[in-house]
Amino acid sequence: MDHELAEISAFLQAIPPFDTLPESLTLQLVKEINICYVRAKQPLPPNGIKEARLYILRKGALVYTDHNGQLVGKYTEGEICSVFCRPAQRNEVQVNTEEDTLLYSLDYQTLLSLVTDYPQIDAFFMQTAAERLKGKMGKVNEDAIINSSLINNPISQFYHKPVLTINRQQSIQQAALKMTEKNISCLVVVDDKEKGVSTPVGIVTDKDIRRRCVAEGLSFTQPVSKIMTADMATLPEQSSAYDALMLMTSKRIHHLPITGFSDAGEYGELVAMVTITDLMNNEGHNAVNITSIIRKAATINDLIRISKLLPKLQIRMAKLGTSADHIGKSISAITMAFTIRIIEMSEKINGKAPVPYAWVACGSQARQEQLAHSDQDNALIISDEVQPEHEAWFENLASFVCDGLAACGFILCPGDIMASNPKWRQPQQVWHQYFEQWVSTPSPQALLNGSVFFDFATVHGDESLLNEVRSKLLAKTKGNSLFLAHLSRNALMLRPPLGFFRDFVLISDGEHKASLDIKHNGIAPIVDLARIYALAEGIASVNTIERLKKAAGSPSISKESAANLIDAYEFLGILRLEHQANLLQAGKAPNNYLSPKKLSKLEREHLKDAFKVIKALQDSRQSTY
Amino acid sequence: MLSNQPLFYWLLGYEAQRKRAWARAPEGALKDFLSVSFPDPDTPLNDIEILSVDFETTGLYAINDKLLSVGFIGVTQQQISLKDSYHQIIKTKDDLCADNVIIHQITDQQKEQGAPLKEVVEALLKALAGKVMLVHFARIERQFLQQACLALYGVAPPFPMIDTLMIAKRQLDKKDVAYDPSELRLSTLRHQHGLPNHFAHNALNDAIATAELLMVQMSEMSDNNSLTLHDLLL
Repeated sequence: MDHELAEISAFLQAIPPFDTLPESLTLQLVKEINICYVRAKQPLPPNGIKEARLYILRKGALVYTDHNGQLVGKYTEGEICSVFCRPAQRNEVQVNTEEDTLLYSLDYQTLLSLVTDYPQIDAFFMQTAAERLKGKMGKVNEDAIINSSLINNPISQFYHKPVLTINRQQSIQQAALKMTEKNISCLVVVDDKEKGVSTPVGIVTDKDIRRRCVAEGLSFTQPVSKIMTADMATLPEQSSAYDALMLMTSKRIHHLPITGFSDAGEYGELVAMVTITDLMNNEGHNAVNITSIIRKAATINDLIRISKLLPKLQIRMAKLGTSADHIGKSISAITMAFTIRIIEMSEKINGKAPVPYAWVACGSQARQEQLAHSDQDNALIISDEVQPEHEAWFENLASFVCDGLAACGFILCPGDIMASNPKWRQPQQVWHQYFEQWVSTPSPQALLNGSVFFDFATVHGDESLLNEVRSKLLAKTKGNSLFLAHLSRNALMLRPPLGFFRDFVLISDGEHKASLDIKHNGIAPIVDLARIYALAEGIASVNTIERLKKAAGSPSISKESAANLIDAYEFLGILRLEHQANLLQAGKAPNNYLSPKKLSKLEREHLKDAFKVIKALQDSRQSTY
Repeated sequence: MLSNQPLFYWLLGYEAQRKRAWARAPEGALKDFLSVSFPDPDTPLNDIEILSVDFETTGLYAINDKLLSVGFIGVTQQQISLKDSYHQIIKTKDDLCADNVIIHQITDQQKEQGAPLKEVVEALLKALAGKVMLVHFARIERQFLQQACLALYGVAPPFPMIDTLMIAKRQLDKKDVAYDPSELRLSTLRHQHGLPNHFAHNALNDAIATAELLMVQMSEMSDNNSLTLHDLLL
C-alpha cells in the first residue's frame, strides 16, 4: 500500500544475495540502511567509520587497488562492497570512489542478526570466490543429475542378466538355435574347463552368423569359435552407462559384456550384457541414437543429413541443464562416430590399409570437449613398416576423411592441422622426433603446435601407435622444468579479466572491452593449466576435468585448487553452451562472445569468482616457474 | 524577508523568537520543542543535527489547504539513517480533490485510516527539537507547520531551516545567467547532480531525496569542512 521506501527495497531486492529474502525481511533491512554520499577520489569507509559495514552502491563507482597500487576491480550501481566486513581484506585492498558515489550502508552485525534464518547471506559475503563457486556448481550438478540419465546412472540400470553362453566346441547351428529360442542376438563363447569353471573367450552375434558363416559359405556344423570375435571388449559393472556408450562407439560394437564379482566373490566374472538398444531406449532422440544412425549411414550424403541434427542436440542438452562435460563428451563421441564411418567408407573404396595406422584426433575433440561444428584437428600416425608405395593410400584416406568431415560441418582446420597435410601424416618414428624436438627445444611455434598435439586421442586404428608416442612424450615432459616453464609462460598469456564495470568487461590494466571472450579468457586458460599439470606429472589423460582430477594432490596442484578449477571450468562451460544455444536457436552462428549486458547480476558474480579462481592458479604457476 | 537582513540580526532573531514563543506556548509538545535551544549558528555543518521534512498537501495555501501527510528523516554526520524515518498520513475532514490525488496518490480511503493532525505534528515537533529543519522550497513547510501550530496551540513558532532550493538558487544567481525556474525542482536538481531517480510526491521519499541532495550540495561547496550552519541557514 505504501510506497515510502518502496524504491529502496525494490533496489535491494534485485541484488544478490538479498534477492533470496522475503519482502517483509527486505523492508526490515531497508530500515537499517544509512545513506551517505562520497565525492570522487575519496577513500572508503566514509567519515572514518570503523565498524564492519556493507556498502551497497546506489550510484557512482568504486575502485579497488592492492598494496602495490595495482587495480583489483571496479564496482558500480547495484554492487556491494564487503571489504570492510572482512577483517582480513580490510588491509589487503584499498577502496576509493572513482566517481561521486551514493552509498547505502548496513551494519554487518545488525544485518546478521536480522537474517539468522538465512545463512546464505553471511555465506555470500564471507565465503571466498572458490567457496561461492562450489556452492553454485553443487546446485548445477544436482540439476544435471536430475536431467541426465546416461552419465550419472550406473550401467547396472541398463544391462540384463544372466549372460547366455555357449561352449566354443558347439556348432554354429546350435548357437543360432539358442539365439532363436531365447530371442536374443548375442552369445558369449566360453571355454568349459574342469570343475565347471568357464572362461569367456569371445562373443558371437547373429550378424557374425550372417557375415562370417552364411555369406562366406561356411558350414553351420563348424564350431562357433570359428566365427566369434575373439578380443572381446568388456566393462566393469561399476562403470557409468555413459562409459559403455563411449566404448561401444569407439569399438563399433552393439553388445558389451559387463564384468563383476561372481557369486563366489571372484572378480572378472561375466555378470551381464548391455546392448546399444538398451541405452537408446532410455534416452529418446539423443547422442546414442545419433551415434547409431551414423553407423548405418551408407553415403556421405546420409552423414551430411545426420550432421544437421548436431546443433539441435546441443541446444536440447544445453536447455536441459546438462553439464558442459557431458555435452562435450556426447558431441565428441558423435564426431568420433562420423570419423569412423567416413574412414570405413574410404576403406571400402580404397581397400584395407597396407600397414597399421592410427587416426588421431587432436585438440578439443581429443579432450572430449568439442561442440557442434567446431573445426577439425586430426593427424595420422602410421606404422614404421610403411613403404613409399603406401603413401598414396594414406593420402587418399586423409583427403577423403577430411573432406567428408568438412561436408558434415566440421570445418577444415584454419591452421592446417589435419591428416591431409603431409606434415601431420607421418610414420611413428617421425612423430617421436616431432615431440622430441618440441620438448627439448621449446620455441613459441613449437609450443603452439604442442598445445594441439599434446591433447590427442586415437579415433580409429591401432591404439598402440599413439600410446607409444604418448608414453615416450610423457617420460620426457615429466618434471622437465625448462619445457614446463616455456609452456607455462605461453599459457599464462591468456588472462581472465578482472571483472565487469557497468556493461563492460574490465581488463587488468583498467581498460574496458565490450564483450567477454569466454573461450580465450575463461575456458582456454583452464585447459592450458590442466595440460601443464598433466605433462608435468606424466598423466596420460587429455580431458581437462580428468587431468585435473588426476593431478589433484600432486606437487603441481592441491586437491582443493583442482576442485575449484573444475567448478570454474564447468560453470564457464555451461555459460558458453547456454549462450551458443541461444544463438543457434535464433538461427545465428555460435560464437564465444558474451555481452555483459545479457548477463544477470548473479552470473556476473559467479563469473568474477571463476576469474579469481583461475587468476590465483595462474599466479601460483607464474611464481613456480 | 528575513534573509535580507544582516546575519547577526536574524540569528539573534531566531533565538529571540523561540524564547518569546516559548513564553506564550501552552504546556505540551510545542512548549517542549521550544524549550530546547536552536543549534548555534557557528557550529560546523558536519556536527549539526538535521531533520529533512516534507509535506504533501491538498494545495499551496496554508490557510485553505490541508496537510495530507508528513515524512521526515534525520541526517547526522552526513549520513541519512532510515531507521529514524517517519511517514504518516493525516486524517483530514475534507474530501480530496481528484487532481491532487493523482499527484500524491493518497486516496480518501487511506486518509480515513490516517492519524489525527495533532498526533502527527507532535511527532514532528518531538523529532525536531534541537535540530535544523531541511526542506526543498521552505515556504510550503514553514507556512503549513506554522498554520497547524496556530490551530493546535494558538502560537506560530519560528523554525530555523535549510532549503536546498535556495542553495541551488544562490548558486545559479552567482553565475549571473538566466535560468528557468523549473531547474530548481527537486527531481531536476537531483538529476543534474547525478542522483538516481526517486518516486516523488511521497512525503518520506521526498524528505530522503532532499537530504541526499543536501549531502551532494555540501560536498560540492568549496572547503566544506569549514562550513558552519549560518552558511546555509535561511
